[in-house]
Amino acid sequence: MRIVILRRKKEIKYNAIISSCISVLFGIAIYLFILWLFNVNLVDAIVILGGSFISPTIVKDFLIICLIGCGLIISFKASIWNIGGEGQFYVAMIPGIILTLIVFNPEESNAGIPSVLVIILVIITGALAGAAWATIAGVLKAYMRVDEVPVTLILNYIAYYLLNYLVSGPLKGKKTYGYLRTDEIPGLYRLNIVLSTPQATSSFEGALYGFMTQVAYYLAVLIAVILVFTFIMWMFKYTKLGLYIKILGANPDYLLTSGANVKILTLCAMALSGSIVGLTGSLYLLVEWGRIPYGIQSHTPGYGYQAILASWLSMLDYRFLPVSAYLVAGLRNTGLSIKIAGLGDTEQSLIILGSFLLAYSITRFISDYEVKFEW
Amino acid sequence: MVEAYIDFFMRLSAAFATIYIVALGHSLFELSGLLNLSIDGMFFLSTGVAILLSAFLHTLLIPIGVNQLACTILATILTGLIMSLVGLSLAWILSVFPISQGAVGLSLMFLGYGLGIQAGYPVRLKYGSITQFTYPQTPSLYIVTISLSIITGVLIHRLLYSTPIGAMVRACGEDPHIASNLGAIVYKVRLFTGAIGYFLIGIGGSLFPLLWLRYWDIRSYALGYGWFAYTVALAAGRHPILLIPFALIFGGLLEFNIAIQASYGLPVDLAGMMPFIASIVLMMLYSSSKLRRSFEPPRSLGKIYYKEERTI
Repeated sequence: MRIVILRRKKEIKYNAIISSCISVLFGIAIYLFILWLFNVNLVDAIVILGGSFISPTIVKDFLIICLIGCGLIISFKASIWNIGGEGQFYVAMIPGIILTLIVFNPEESNAGIPSVLVIILVIITGALAGAAWATIAGVLKAYMRVDEVPVTLILNYIAYYLLNYLVSGPLKGKKTYGYLRTDEIPGLYRLNIVLSTPQATSSFEGALYGFMTQVAYYLAVLIAVILVFTFIMWMFKYTKLGLYIKILGANPDYLLTSGANVKILTLCAMALSGSIVGLTGSLYLLVEWGRIPYGIQSHTPGYGYQAILASWLSMLDYRFLPVSAYLVAGLRNTGLSIKIAGLGDTEQSLIILGSFLLAYSITRFISDYEVKFEW
Repeated sequence: MVEAYIDFFMRLSAAFATIYIVALGHSLFELSGLLNLSIDGMFFLSTGVAILLSAFLHTLLIPIGVNQLACTILATILTGLIMSLVGLSLAWILSVFPISQGAVGLSLMFLGYGLGIQAGYPVRLKYGSITQFTYPQTPSLYIVTISLSIITGVLIHRLLYSTPIGAMVRACGEDPHIASNLGAIVYKVRLFTGAIGYFLIGIGGSLFPLLWLRYWDIRSYALGYGWFAYTVALAAGRHPILLIPFALIFGGLLEFNIAIQASYGLPVDLAGMMPFIASIVLMMLYSSSKLRRSFEPPRSLGKIYYKEERTI
């Protein structure tokens, strides 16, 4: 058999949509094949897979993955592979805990600062912490030519250990009933809205109320997604920085010859990317966690990695990011639902993630090349 | 006192052998120009497969009179062979199709974590401790392991720098198009390094639960030990002989970080992050010194090798 691979002369119509659909279908095939190898009932798995995409619990995952994905797309566009979203996400929680529990704790001080200001401060410092953490890899790449992939990955592990050290040491909670974690941040700094809905009379009503409850609970994250998305759109469409970042990814030599400072641009791309991931981390603390537990590596939902998949699935096109974030959130939900249904355990989320990422990586070339089989 | 030295030697040699063999396999794979970002996932997959096979072989072969050591050695070899198939598939996909080596590597990393849990967790659940399926703790076995590791390294060095196959491997890593023009069949060379490299990664990965730690846990995948092997290979310029001191230092740092922590009164999590910080410092020193030029990675590492027609 002869495989002939030819570079496409013309770009195919609806390239991103077709490639994404092919990779999703291929990913489902790989995942189901693995489940079949391990004797899991495929019909049950398919039913769960379908149900997970319309479950109200998808809202949280969708918003968080979308927001982190927005951050990662900036560095990816510049061909800087920031795999360290996971570390930037958690490092951003440190200033949040310090500000709400130590500096502005209403039970211990009478600073009299409005809670809104503290919340804004938490979000800004979180974004700055994320930016600083990402910039470490940026500096090493720009000034020492150290590959950013291993550095950002290793920084994730360092972030885990750093948080564990802080949670078991300087930030250890006093009212935790013996559990190793920080205290819960005061209620007036929490950003979640608990909506009380009437008793549902039908399954449709139940689902509707479920979605309404989830949207209200994560309203702050939704607003952040809209703002960040608009910012990214504006940046890439109308600013010099956005244009430079795109050229840095496509043709860095052109930038060099045009006199642009590629090193500073690398730092900017990483810092901007890290700041959005950091912003998401601080929002996650204020809305969802409310405290940091010990042993981050076993508590992490892995959003930093899932957002990489979402960004890649969107073909680094921010317009398709919500679609790919929805897909990834659905897959994550599937992993959890399969675990709840007793068809598997922690490995399910990892296998789903790996299968789809692999499918995407393999099928992506179809958009640039055509393959002919000759017998 | 003598017992303390023997214990020190056994712990260090187990850590060294694991890190060294994995880094050696990884280096061989990358020298042919294929980027191996799946290293951590594949390392963890090897650990899961190793304990699954070891438990299975012990249950199957001990009743018919085969001894424990033979069962464990067989499990290690079979793990290597299974990983060798993974390496072959990976090398084939990356050589035949013009696809991103980084993306495929990262996706295989996650798949490796998931499949590793799938393979190892049932054993952990059924038996709890896996000590009965591991290598016996005799000093002579550790001497043999460390000797075999170094001999393997020397043989790989000979293969790479004194044989035509080695020259082809390095040529494919530098520029596959030129190598192809000079007569090397690039995808066959890469299949060869994929099979041997991943065989070694499998062997090294199996030593992690069966010789070094002598236990396996679902959370081992978050340890990132595969990335240490990656860093060791990077720092030693993927050179089989230079890998030896680096693997010894990193292996020692990992194995004795609790002792170092106790000696300096460091909190456990700070001690845990030390090897990771050391990895980054090492990469910085390496990149900013003259060593960078001497140990530069293959020029085509991670680059897509595109040739219009492929015949398989």
